[in-house]
Amino acid sequence: MVTLGPVDDTASAAVVTEQGDLRRKIAVPWMRLISLASVVTVMTLWYVSTEYGWILPIFLPKPATVWQEAQGAFAGGLLLTDVWMSSKRVFLGFALAGIVAIPLGVAMAIWAPAKAILDPFVSLLRPLPSITWIPLTMLWLGIGESQKVAIVFMGSWIYILLYTYESTKRVDPLLIRAARNLGARDIDVMYEVIFPGALPGIITGLKVTLAISWSCVLSAEMVAAQNGLGAMIWQAKDWGNLALVLVGMLSISITVLVADQVANRIERLLLPWERDRHQ
Amino acid sequence: MHPILSAEHVTKVFAAGRGDPVVAVDDLSVDINEGEFVCLLGASGCGKSTMLNMFAGFTQPTNGTVCLRGTPITSIEPRCGMVFQSYALFPWKTVRGNVEFGLKVRRVSKDVRRERAQQFIDMVKLTGFEDHYPTELSGGMQQRVTLARLLANDPEVLLMDEPFAALDAMTRQVMQEELLRIHDANRKTTVFITHSIDEALILSNRIVVMSARPGRVKAILPNDLPSPRHVDVQLSPEYADLKRQIWQLVESEVRHHDETNN
Repeated sequence: MVTLGPVDDTASAAVVTEQGDLRRKIAVPWMRLISLASVVTVMTLWYVSTEYGWILPIFLPKPATVWQEAQGAFAGGLLLTDVWMSSKRVFLGFALAGIVAIPLGVAMAIWAPAKAILDPFVSLLRPLPSITWIPLTMLWLGIGESQKVAIVFMGSWIYILLYTYESTKRVDPLLIRAARNLGARDIDVMYEVIFPGALPGIITGLKVTLAISWSCVLSAEMVAAQNGLGAMIWQAKDWGNLALVLVGMLSISITVLVADQVANRIERLLLPWERDRHQ
Repeated sequence: MHPILSAEHVTKVFAAGRGDPVVAVDDLSVDINEGEFVCLLGASGCGKSTMLNMFAGFTQPTNGTVCLRGTPITSIEPRCGMVFQSYALFPWKTVRGNVEFGLKVRRVSKDVRRERAQQFIDMVKLTGFEDHYPTELSGGMQQRVTLARLLANDPEVLLMDEPFAALDAMTRQVMQEELLRIHDANRKTTVFITHSIDEALILSNRIVVMSARPGRVKAILPNDLPSPRHVDVQLSPEYADLKRQIWQLVESEVRHHDETNN
Protein backbone atom coordinates (compact mmCIF):
# COMPACT_ATOMS: atom_id res chain seq x y z
CA MET A 1 0.00 0.00 0.00
CA VAL A 2 2.91 2.33 0.79
CA THR A 3 4.12 2.23 -2.81
CA LEU A 4 0.78 3.43 -4.16
CA GLY A 5 0.95 6.97 -5.52
CA PRO A 6 -1.96 9.40 -5.34
CA VAL A 7 -3.11 8.46 -8.85
CA ASP A 8 -3.32 4.80 -7.96
CA ASP A 9 -5.20 5.71 -4.83
CA THR A 10 -7.99 7.46 -6.70
CA ALA A 11 -8.12 4.63 -9.21
CA SER A 12 -8.58 2.02 -6.53
CA ALA A 13 -11.13 4.25 -4.79
CA ALA A 14 -13.14 4.35 -8.02
CA VAL A 15 -13.04 0.57 -8.25
CA VAL A 16 -14.23 0.27 -4.67
CA THR A 17 -17.24 2.53 -5.24
CA GLU A 18 -18.07 0.69 -8.46
CA GLN A 19 -18.03 -2.58 -6.59
CA GLY A 20 -20.11 -0.96 -3.86
CA ASP A 21 -22.73 0.10 -6.39
CA LEU A 22 -22.78 -3.33 -7.89
CA ARG A 23 -23.12 -4.90 -4.48
CA ARG A 24 -26.05 -2.63 -3.71
CA LYS A 25 -27.74 -3.49 -7.01
CA ILE A 26 -27.54 -7.18 -6.26
CA ALA A 27 -28.32 -6.67 -2.58
CA VAL A 28 -31.78 -5.10 -3.02
CA PRO A 29 -33.61 -8.09 -4.61
CA TRP A 30 -31.74 -10.48 -2.37
CA MET A 31 -32.86 -8.61 0.75
CA ARG A 32 -36.45 -8.66 -0.48
CA LEU A 33 -36.18 -12.40 -0.88
CA ILE A 34 -34.79 -12.80 2.63
CA SER A 35 -37.67 -10.71 4.04
CA LEU A 36 -40.16 -12.91 2.22
CA ALA A 37 -38.46 -16.06 3.49
CA SER A 38 -38.52 -14.81 7.07
CA VAL A 39 -42.27 -14.12 6.86
CA VAL A 40 -42.94 -17.51 5.28
CA THR A 41 -40.90 -19.22 8.02
CA VAL A 42 -42.82 -17.56 10.84
CA MET A 43 -46.19 -18.28 9.17
CA THR A 44 -45.17 -21.92 8.71
CA LEU A 45 -44.12 -22.19 12.33
CA TRP A 46 -47.47 -20.71 13.34
CA TYR A 47 -49.34 -23.12 11.08
CA VAL A 48 -47.42 -26.23 12.15
CA SER A 49 -47.41 -25.49 15.89
CA THR A 50 -51.18 -24.87 16.02
CA GLU A 51 -52.13 -27.61 13.56
CA TYR A 52 -50.25 -30.30 15.51
CA GLY A 53 -51.47 -29.05 18.86
CA TRP A 54 -48.05 -27.92 20.17
CA ILE A 55 -49.78 -24.68 21.11
CA LEU A 56 -53.38 -24.84 22.30
CA PRO A 57 -55.99 -22.77 20.40
CA ILE A 58 -56.89 -20.88 23.60
CA PHE A 59 -53.38 -19.40 23.56
CA LEU A 60 -52.92 -19.02 19.82
CA PRO A 61 -55.66 -19.72 17.26
CA LYS A 62 -54.94 -21.40 13.92
CA PRO A 63 -54.19 -19.18 10.91
CA ALA A 64 -57.29 -20.57 9.19
CA THR A 65 -59.51 -19.54 12.13
CA VAL A 66 -58.09 -16.02 12.04
CA TRP A 67 -58.68 -15.85 8.29
CA GLN A 68 -62.33 -16.96 8.72
CA GLU A 69 -62.84 -14.49 11.53
CA ALA A 70 -61.35 -11.72 9.38
CA GLN A 71 -63.70 -12.54 6.49
CA GLY A 72 -66.68 -12.54 8.85
CA ALA A 73 -65.74 -9.22 10.44
CA PHE A 74 -65.10 -7.69 7.05
CA ALA A 75 -68.29 -8.99 5.44
CA GLY A 76 -70.51 -7.72 8.26
CA GLY A 77 -69.10 -4.21 7.77
CA LEU A 78 -68.31 -4.04 11.50
CA LEU A 79 -64.56 -4.07 10.98
CA LEU A 80 -64.67 -1.15 8.57
CA THR A 81 -66.92 0.79 10.96
CA ASP A 82 -64.37 0.26 13.72
CA VAL A 83 -61.51 1.36 11.45
CA TRP A 84 -63.50 4.42 10.43
CA MET A 85 -64.45 5.38 14.02
CA SER A 86 -60.89 5.08 15.30
CA SER A 87 -59.49 6.95 12.30
CA LYS A 88 -62.00 9.75 12.79
CA ARG A 89 -61.07 10.16 16.46
CA VAL A 90 -57.37 10.14 15.65
CA PHE A 91 -57.82 12.64 12.87
CA LEU A 92 -59.89 15.07 14.97
CA GLY A 93 -57.63 14.92 18.02
CA PHE A 94 -54.48 15.08 15.93
CA ALA A 95 -55.69 17.99 13.79
CA LEU A 96 -56.79 19.91 16.87
CA ALA A 97 -53.41 19.28 18.51
CA GLY A 98 -51.65 20.56 15.37
CA ILE A 99 -53.82 23.66 15.16
CA VAL A 100 -53.05 24.52 18.79
CA ALA A 101 -49.44 23.34 19.07
CA ILE A 102 -47.85 24.55 15.84
CA PRO A 103 -48.56 28.27 16.46
CA LEU A 104 -47.57 27.87 20.11
CA GLY A 105 -44.32 26.14 19.16
CA VAL A 106 -43.43 28.88 16.69
CA ALA A 107 -44.32 31.52 19.28
CA MET A 108 -42.06 29.83 21.85
CA ALA A 109 -39.17 29.88 19.40
CA ILE A 110 -39.42 33.49 18.32
CA TRP A 111 -40.77 35.20 21.45
CA ALA A 112 -39.06 34.44 24.78
CA PRO A 113 -42.04 35.32 27.05
CA ALA A 114 -44.16 32.68 25.27
CA LYS A 115 -41.51 30.10 26.12
CA ALA A 116 -41.38 31.31 29.71
CA ILE A 117 -45.15 30.97 30.01
CA LEU A 118 -45.42 27.51 28.47
CA ASP A 119 -42.21 25.87 29.72
CA PRO A 120 -43.47 24.91 33.21
CA PHE A 121 -46.61 23.28 31.82
CA VAL A 122 -44.72 21.44 29.12
CA SER A 123 -42.29 20.08 31.71
CA LEU A 124 -45.13 18.94 33.99
CA LEU A 125 -47.39 17.46 31.34
CA ARG A 126 -44.81 15.81 29.12
CA PRO A 127 -44.09 12.81 31.39
CA LEU A 128 -47.81 11.95 31.65
CA PRO A 129 -48.94 9.11 29.37
CA SER A 130 -52.25 10.00 27.71
CA ILE A 131 -54.12 7.23 29.55
CA THR A 132 -53.62 9.11 32.83
CA TRP A 133 -56.03 11.69 31.41
CA ILE A 134 -58.83 9.11 31.15
CA PRO A 135 -60.36 9.73 34.63
CA LEU A 136 -60.41 13.51 34.29
CA THR A 137 -61.64 13.56 30.69
CA MET A 138 -64.42 11.09 31.55
CA LEU A 139 -65.50 13.29 34.43
CA TRP A 140 -65.50 16.41 32.26
CA LEU A 141 -66.68 15.02 28.92
CA GLY A 142 -68.43 11.72 29.66
CA ILE A 143 -67.64 8.70 27.51
CA GLY A 144 -68.68 10.09 24.15
CA GLU A 145 -66.67 11.04 21.11
CA SER A 146 -65.28 14.24 22.59
CA GLN A 147 -63.61 12.29 25.38
CA LYS A 148 -61.73 10.06 22.89
CA VAL A 149 -60.71 13.10 20.88
CA ALA A 150 -59.53 14.77 24.08
CA ILE A 151 -57.32 11.79 24.94
CA VAL A 152 -55.74 11.90 21.49
CA PHE A 153 -55.28 15.65 21.84
CA MET A 154 -53.66 15.41 25.28
CA GLY A 155 -51.32 12.68 24.10
CA SER A 156 -50.26 14.50 20.94
CA TRP A 157 -50.02 18.25 21.36
CA ILE A 158 -46.85 18.39 23.43
CA TYR A 159 -44.85 16.38 20.88
CA ILE A 160 -46.03 18.61 18.04
CA LEU A 161 -45.18 21.65 20.16
CA LEU A 162 -41.66 20.45 20.93
CA TYR A 163 -40.88 19.43 17.34
CA THR A 164 -42.19 22.78 16.08
CA TYR A 165 -40.18 24.69 18.68
CA GLU A 166 -36.96 22.82 17.89
CA SER A 167 -37.23 23.12 14.13
CA THR A 168 -38.17 26.80 14.28
CA LYS A 169 -35.16 27.45 16.52
CA ARG A 170 -32.91 25.68 14.06
CA VAL A 171 -33.72 27.79 11.02
CA ASP A 172 -30.34 28.98 9.69
CA PRO A 173 -29.77 32.55 11.00
CA LEU A 174 -27.74 33.28 7.85
CA LEU A 175 -30.92 32.87 5.77
CA ILE A 176 -32.75 35.33 8.02
CA ARG A 177 -29.86 37.74 7.66
CA ALA A 178 -29.87 37.31 3.87
CA ALA A 179 -33.63 37.95 3.76
CA ARG A 180 -33.31 41.14 5.78
CA ASN A 181 -30.41 42.24 3.59
CA LEU A 182 -32.78 41.88 0.63
CA GLY A 183 -35.27 44.18 2.33
CA ALA A 184 -37.56 41.68 4.09
CA ARG A 185 -39.69 42.96 6.96
CA ASP A 186 -40.58 40.96 10.08
CA ILE A 187 -43.71 39.55 8.46
CA ASP A 188 -41.77 38.50 5.34
CA VAL A 189 -39.06 36.87 7.43
CA MET A 190 -41.81 34.97 9.26
CA TYR A 191 -43.69 33.71 6.19
CA GLU A 192 -40.91 33.48 3.65
CA VAL A 193 -38.03 32.21 5.78
CA ILE A 194 -38.83 30.98 9.28
CA PHE A 195 -41.96 29.02 8.45
CA PRO A 196 -40.71 27.23 5.31
CA GLY A 197 -37.36 26.70 7.04
CA ALA A 198 -39.05 24.98 9.96
CA LEU A 199 -41.58 23.07 7.87
CA PRO A 200 -39.53 19.90 7.23
CA GLY A 201 -38.92 19.51 10.96
CA ILE A 202 -42.56 20.22 11.79
CA ILE A 203 -43.73 17.59 9.32
CA THR A 204 -41.29 15.03 10.74
CA GLY A 205 -42.76 15.83 14.15
CA LEU A 206 -46.30 15.39 12.86
CA LYS A 207 -45.44 12.00 11.39
CA VAL A 208 -43.90 10.78 14.64
CA THR A 209 -46.86 12.13 16.58
CA LEU A 210 -49.40 10.47 14.29
CA ALA A 211 -48.23 7.05 15.49
CA ILE A 212 -48.49 8.27 19.09
CA SER A 213 -52.03 9.54 18.43
CA TRP A 214 -52.99 6.06 17.28
CA SER A 215 -51.78 4.44 20.48
CA CYS A 216 -53.74 7.08 22.44
CA VAL A 217 -57.04 6.34 20.72
CA LEU A 218 -56.63 2.61 21.16
CA SER A 219 -56.05 2.84 24.89
CA ALA A 220 -58.99 5.26 25.24
CA GLU A 221 -61.23 2.86 23.33
CA MET A 222 -60.16 -0.11 25.43
CA VAL A 223 -61.27 1.63 28.59
CA ALA A 224 -64.62 2.98 27.49
CA ALA A 225 -66.08 2.86 24.00
CA GLN A 226 -68.81 1.12 22.03
CA ASN A 227 -66.83 0.93 18.83
CA GLY A 228 -63.42 1.53 17.31
CA LEU A 229 -60.55 -0.91 16.94
CA GLY A 230 -59.51 -0.66 20.61
CA ALA A 231 -63.05 -1.48 21.78
CA MET A 232 -63.29 -4.31 19.26
CA ILE A 233 -60.13 -5.98 20.60
CA TRP A 234 -61.27 -5.55 24.18
CA GLN A 235 -64.74 -7.00 23.53
CA ALA A 236 -63.28 -9.92 21.59
CA LYS A 237 -61.06 -10.66 24.58
CA ASP A 238 -64.13 -10.64 26.86
CA TRP A 239 -65.86 -13.14 24.57
CA GLY A 240 -62.73 -15.28 24.52
CA ASN A 241 -62.46 -14.84 20.75
CA LEU A 242 -58.70 -14.72 20.37
CA ALA A 243 -58.88 -14.96 16.57
CA LEU A 244 -60.88 -11.74 16.47
CA VAL A 245 -58.32 -10.08 18.77
CA LEU A 246 -55.65 -10.96 16.21
CA VAL A 247 -57.83 -9.63 13.38
CA GLY A 248 -58.16 -6.38 15.33
CA MET A 249 -54.41 -6.13 15.91
CA LEU A 250 -53.69 -6.78 12.25
CA SER A 251 -56.26 -4.15 11.25
CA ILE A 252 -54.53 -1.61 13.49
CA SER A 253 -51.16 -2.34 11.88
CA ILE A 254 -52.55 -2.01 8.37
CA THR A 255 -54.51 1.16 9.16
CA VAL A 256 -51.49 2.87 10.74
CA LEU A 257 -49.27 1.77 7.84
CA VAL A 258 -51.75 3.23 5.34
CA ALA A 259 -51.97 6.45 7.39
CA ASP A 260 -48.16 6.63 7.31
CA GLN A 261 -48.11 6.21 3.53
CA VAL A 262 -50.66 8.99 3.14
CA ALA A 263 -48.55 11.18 5.43
CA ASN A 264 -45.46 10.47 3.29
CA ARG A 265 -47.34 11.45 0.14
CA ILE A 266 -48.49 14.70 1.74
CA GLU A 267 -44.93 15.37 2.93
CA ARG A 268 -43.55 14.98 -0.57
CA LEU A 269 -46.21 17.29 -1.91
CA LEU A 270 -45.50 19.97 0.69
CA LEU A 271 -41.70 19.79 0.49
CA PRO A 272 -40.87 19.63 -3.22
CA TRP A 273 -37.35 20.93 -2.55
CA GLU A 274 -36.55 17.87 -0.46
CA ARG A 275 -37.60 15.45 -3.20
CA ASP A 276 -34.05 14.12 -3.55
CA ARG A 277 -33.81 13.31 0.11
CA HIS A 278 -36.87 11.10 -0.03
CA GLN A 279 -35.75 8.99 -2.96
CA MET B 1 -16.86 63.95 -5.25
CA HIS B 2 -18.47 62.46 -2.14
CA PRO B 3 -17.73 58.83 -1.44
CA ILE B 4 -20.77 56.54 -1.64
CA LEU B 5 -19.52 54.43 1.25
CA SER B 6 -17.17 55.49 4.00
CA ALA B 7 -15.71 54.25 7.25
CA GLU B 8 -14.44 56.94 9.60
CA HIS B 9 -12.14 55.89 12.45
CA VAL B 10 -14.04 52.65 12.86
CA THR B 11 -13.15 50.40 15.76
CA LYS B 12 -14.91 47.14 16.53
CA VAL B 13 -14.33 45.27 19.76
CA PHE B 14 -15.86 41.88 20.46
CA ALA B 15 -16.37 40.64 23.99
CA ALA B 16 -14.80 37.17 24.06
CA GLY B 17 -16.39 35.18 26.87
CA ARG B 18 -14.11 35.34 29.91
CA GLY B 19 -11.01 36.25 27.93
CA ASP B 20 -9.85 39.71 26.97
CA PRO B 21 -12.03 41.54 24.47
CA VAL B 22 -10.85 41.09 20.88
CA VAL B 23 -10.15 44.17 18.80
CA ALA B 24 -11.21 43.05 15.32
CA VAL B 25 -10.93 46.44 13.59
CA ASP B 26 -8.85 49.31 14.93
CA ASP B 27 -9.32 52.93 13.86
CA LEU B 28 -9.96 52.08 10.24
CA SER B 29 -10.83 54.78 7.74
CA VAL B 30 -11.58 54.20 4.07
CA ASP B 31 -13.64 55.95 1.39
CA ILE B 32 -15.23 54.09 -1.47
CA ASN B 33 -16.31 56.03 -4.54
CA GLU B 34 -19.30 55.48 -6.76
CA GLY B 35 -18.71 52.84 -9.43
CA GLU B 36 -15.44 51.62 -7.92
CA PHE B 37 -14.48 47.99 -7.47
CA VAL B 38 -12.52 47.86 -4.23
CA CYS B 39 -10.92 44.73 -2.85
CA LEU B 40 -10.26 44.39 0.87
CA LEU B 41 -7.23 42.13 0.96
CA GLY B 42 -5.89 40.52 4.07
CA ALA B 43 -4.99 37.31 5.85
CA SER B 44 -7.70 35.43 7.69
CA GLY B 45 -8.63 37.04 10.98
CA CYS B 46 -7.75 40.55 9.85
CA GLY B 47 -11.23 41.90 10.44
CA LYS B 48 -12.20 42.27 6.79
CA SER B 49 -15.46 40.33 7.21
CA THR B 50 -16.26 42.39 10.30
CA MET B 51 -15.78 45.52 8.21
CA LEU B 52 -18.12 44.21 5.52
CA ASN B 53 -20.73 43.25 8.12
CA MET B 54 -20.66 46.84 9.37
CA PHE B 55 -21.18 48.16 5.83
CA ALA B 56 -24.24 45.87 5.56
CA GLY B 57 -25.47 47.02 8.97
CA PHE B 58 -25.38 43.51 10.46
CA THR B 59 -23.20 44.84 13.28
CA GLN B 60 -22.45 48.36 14.43
CA PRO B 61 -19.00 49.80 15.11
CA THR B 62 -17.91 50.18 18.74
CA ASN B 63 -16.41 53.56 17.84
CA GLY B 64 -16.50 55.68 14.71
CA THR B 65 -19.12 55.69 11.96
CA VAL B 66 -19.91 53.83 8.79
CA CYS B 67 -21.82 55.93 6.26
CA LEU B 68 -23.77 55.34 3.08
CA ARG B 69 -23.98 58.61 1.09
CA GLY B 70 -23.09 60.54 4.24
CA THR B 71 -25.79 58.97 6.42
CA PRO B 72 -24.68 56.62 9.22
CA ILE B 73 -25.66 52.98 8.78
CA THR B 74 -27.33 51.94 12.03
CA SER B 75 -29.42 48.93 11.03
CA ILE B 76 -29.50 46.31 8.27
CA GLU B 77 -29.17 48.29 5.06
CA PRO B 78 -30.78 46.71 1.98
CA ARG B 79 -29.12 49.31 -0.25
CA CYS B 80 -25.85 47.54 0.58
CA GLY B 81 -26.54 44.06 -0.77
CA MET B 82 -24.40 41.15 0.37
CA VAL B 83 -23.17 38.04 -1.42
CA PHE B 84 -22.28 35.42 1.17
CA GLN B 85 -19.50 32.90 0.83
CA SER B 86 -21.91 30.07 1.65
CA TYR B 87 -24.53 31.35 -0.84
CA ALA B 88 -27.39 31.63 1.71
CA LEU B 89 -29.98 30.67 -0.90
CA PHE B 90 -33.46 29.71 0.25
CA PRO B 91 -33.55 25.94 -0.29
CA TRP B 92 -37.37 25.90 -0.55
CA LYS B 93 -37.42 28.37 -3.40
CA THR B 94 -36.56 27.66 -7.00
CA VAL B 95 -33.92 29.69 -8.82
CA ARG B 96 -36.69 32.02 -9.98
CA GLY B 97 -38.20 32.22 -6.48
CA ASN B 98 -34.81 33.13 -5.02
CA VAL B 99 -34.09 35.79 -7.62
CA GLU B 100 -37.58 37.27 -7.18
CA PHE B 101 -37.28 37.43 -3.38
CA GLY B 102 -36.17 41.04 -2.97
CA LEU B 103 -38.85 42.25 -5.39
CA LYS B 104 -41.52 40.15 -3.70
CA VAL B 105 -40.87 41.57 -0.24
CA ARG B 106 -41.09 45.01 -1.80
CA ARG B 107 -44.51 44.09 -3.14
CA VAL B 108 -43.57 44.41 -6.80
CA SER B 109 -46.33 42.91 -8.95
CA LYS B 110 -45.94 39.35 -10.14
CA ASP B 111 -45.51 40.13 -13.83
CA VAL B 112 -42.85 42.78 -13.31
CA ARG B 113 -41.12 40.51 -10.82
CA ARG B 114 -40.99 37.64 -13.24
CA GLU B 115 -39.69 39.76 -16.07
CA ARG B 116 -36.93 41.36 -14.01
CA ALA B 117 -35.91 38.06 -12.47
CA GLN B 118 -35.64 36.54 -15.93
CA GLN B 119 -33.43 39.39 -17.06
CA PHE B 120 -30.92 38.68 -14.27
CA ILE B 121 -31.17 34.91 -14.58
CA ASP B 122 -30.19 35.40 -18.23
CA MET B 123 -27.41 37.76 -17.19
CA VAL B 124 -25.75 35.16 -14.97
CA LYS B 125 -26.32 32.55 -17.70
CA LEU B 126 -28.75 30.33 -15.84
CA THR B 127 -31.45 30.41 -18.52
CA GLY B 128 -33.26 27.08 -18.45
CA PHE B 129 -32.62 26.50 -14.75
CA GLU B 130 -35.43 28.77 -13.49
CA ASP B 131 -37.42 25.95 -11.91
CA HIS B 132 -34.51 24.12 -10.31
CA TYR B 133 -34.00 24.10 -6.56
CA PRO B 134 -30.59 25.24 -5.22
CA THR B 135 -29.61 21.73 -4.09
CA GLU B 136 -29.89 20.60 -7.70
CA LEU B 137 -27.17 23.06 -8.78
CA SER B 138 -23.37 23.05 -8.53
CA GLY B 139 -21.55 25.49 -6.24
CA GLY B 140 -20.70 27.84 -9.09
CA MET B 141 -24.30 27.87 -10.29
CA GLN B 142 -25.56 28.51 -6.77
CA GLN B 143 -23.27 31.51 -6.48
CA ARG B 144 -24.62 32.78 -9.81
CA VAL B 145 -28.12 32.57 -8.35
CA THR B 146 -26.99 34.60 -5.33
CA LEU B 147 -25.54 37.20 -7.65
CA ALA B 148 -28.72 37.37 -9.73
CA ARG B 149 -30.85 37.57 -6.56
CA LEU B 150 -28.80 40.53 -5.40
CA LEU B 151 -28.66 42.32 -8.75
CA ALA B 152 -32.42 41.95 -9.27
CA ASN B 153 -32.86 43.75 -5.97
CA ASP B 154 -30.88 46.68 -7.45
CA PRO B 155 -28.81 47.68 -4.40
CA GLU B 156 -26.52 50.71 -4.57
CA VAL B 157 -23.48 48.83 -3.30
CA LEU B 158 -22.50 45.18 -3.74
CA LEU B 159 -20.72 43.66 -0.75
CA MET B 160 -19.00 40.36 -1.46
CA ASP B 161 -17.59 38.24 1.32
CA GLU B 162 -15.11 35.88 -0.34
CA PRO B 163 -17.88 34.74 -2.66
CA PHE B 164 -15.73 32.37 -4.72
CA ALA B 165 -13.65 30.88 -1.90
CA ALA B 166 -15.67 27.66 -1.79
CA LEU B 167 -15.40 27.05 -5.54
CA ASP B 168 -12.78 24.98 -7.34
CA ALA B 169 -9.98 26.91 -9.06
CA MET B 170 -11.38 26.67 -12.59
CA THR B 171 -14.94 27.60 -11.67
CA ARG B 172 -13.54 30.48 -9.65
CA GLN B 173 -11.74 31.83 -12.71
CA VAL B 174 -14.93 31.63 -14.78
CA MET B 175 -16.85 33.41 -12.04
CA GLN B 176 -14.24 36.16 -11.87
CA GLU B 177 -14.61 36.72 -15.62
CA GLU B 178 -18.39 36.84 -15.20
CA LEU B 179 -18.15 39.34 -12.39
CA LEU B 180 -15.84 41.58 -14.44
CA ARG B 181 -18.29 41.42 -17.35
CA ILE B 182 -21.24 42.30 -15.09
CA HIS B 183 -19.33 45.11 -13.40
CA ASP B 184 -18.30 46.55 -16.75
CA ALA B 185 -21.96 46.50 -17.77
CA ASN B 186 -23.61 48.03 -14.69
CA ARG B 187 -20.76 49.84 -12.91
CA LYS B 188 -22.14 49.03 -9.48
CA THR B 189 -19.95 50.07 -6.57
CA THR B 190 -18.47 46.84 -5.25
CA VAL B 191 -16.56 46.00 -2.09
CA PHE B 192 -15.03 42.57 -2.46
CA ILE B 193 -13.25 40.67 0.29
CA THR B 194 -10.52 38.23 -0.55
CA HIS B 195 -7.33 36.74 0.82
CA SER B 196 -6.05 36.03 -2.69
CA ILE B 197 -3.68 38.63 -4.14
CA ASP B 198 -4.44 37.32 -7.64
CA GLU B 199 -8.17 37.70 -7.18
CA ALA B 200 -7.73 41.24 -5.89
CA LEU B 201 -5.50 42.14 -8.85
CA ILE B 202 -7.82 40.63 -11.45
CA LEU B 203 -10.99 42.24 -10.17
CA SER B 204 -10.32 45.57 -8.51
CA ASN B 205 -9.73 49.22 -9.36
CA ARG B 206 -8.25 49.72 -5.93
CA ILE B 207 -6.85 47.42 -3.29
CA VAL B 208 -7.05 48.06 0.44
CA VAL B 209 -4.38 45.93 2.09
CA MET B 210 -5.27 45.19 5.71
CA SER B 211 -2.99 44.26 8.57
CA ALA B 212 -3.98 41.47 10.91
CA ARG B 213 -5.17 41.66 14.53
CA PRO B 214 -6.19 44.34 15.02
CA GLY B 215 -7.45 45.10 11.53
CA ARG B 216 -5.95 48.32 10.21
CA VAL B 217 -5.37 49.73 6.76
CA LYS B 218 -1.81 48.87 5.84
CA ALA B 219 -1.84 50.44 2.39
CA ILE B 220 -4.24 51.54 -0.31
CA LEU B 221 -3.01 50.81 -3.82
CA PRO B 222 -4.60 51.88 -7.09
CA ASN B 223 -4.83 49.00 -9.54
CA ASP B 224 -4.28 50.48 -12.98
CA LEU B 225 -4.20 47.26 -14.93
CA PRO B 226 -6.06 47.78 -18.23
CA SER B 227 -9.85 47.67 -18.27
CA PRO B 228 -11.99 45.96 -19.59
CA ARG B 229 -9.95 43.20 -18.06
CA HIS B 230 -9.72 39.47 -18.49
CA VAL B 231 -8.27 36.76 -16.39
CA ASP B 232 -5.26 36.56 -18.75
CA VAL B 233 -4.15 39.95 -17.38
CA GLN B 234 -2.12 37.74 -15.04
CA LEU B 235 0.42 37.20 -17.81
CA SER B 236 1.40 40.88 -18.11
CA PRO B 237 4.61 42.31 -16.55
CA GLU B 238 2.64 45.10 -14.82
CA TYR B 239 0.66 42.42 -13.05
CA ALA B 240 3.81 40.75 -11.78
CA ASP B 241 5.18 44.08 -10.52
CA LEU B 242 2.00 44.86 -8.60
CA LYS B 243 1.81 41.38 -7.21
CA ARG B 244 5.39 41.59 -5.91
CA GLN B 245 4.66 44.96 -4.35
CA ILE B 246 1.58 43.65 -2.54
CA TRP B 247 3.27 40.46 -1.44
CA GLN B 248 6.03 42.51 0.22
CA LEU B 249 3.33 44.40 2.15
CA VAL B 250 1.47 41.28 3.12
CA GLU B 251 4.38 38.95 3.81
CA SER B 252 5.44 40.45 7.11
CA GLU B 253 1.81 40.43 8.25
CA VAL B 254 1.29 36.79 7.43
CA ARG B 255 4.54 35.74 9.10
CA HIS B 256 3.83 37.86 12.14
CA HIS B 257 0.28 36.52 12.39
CA ASP B 258 1.49 32.97 12.01
CA GLU B 259 4.10 33.39 14.75
CA THR B 260 1.72 34.94 17.25
CA ASN B 261 -0.72 32.11 16.64
CA ASN B 262 1.89 29.44 17.40
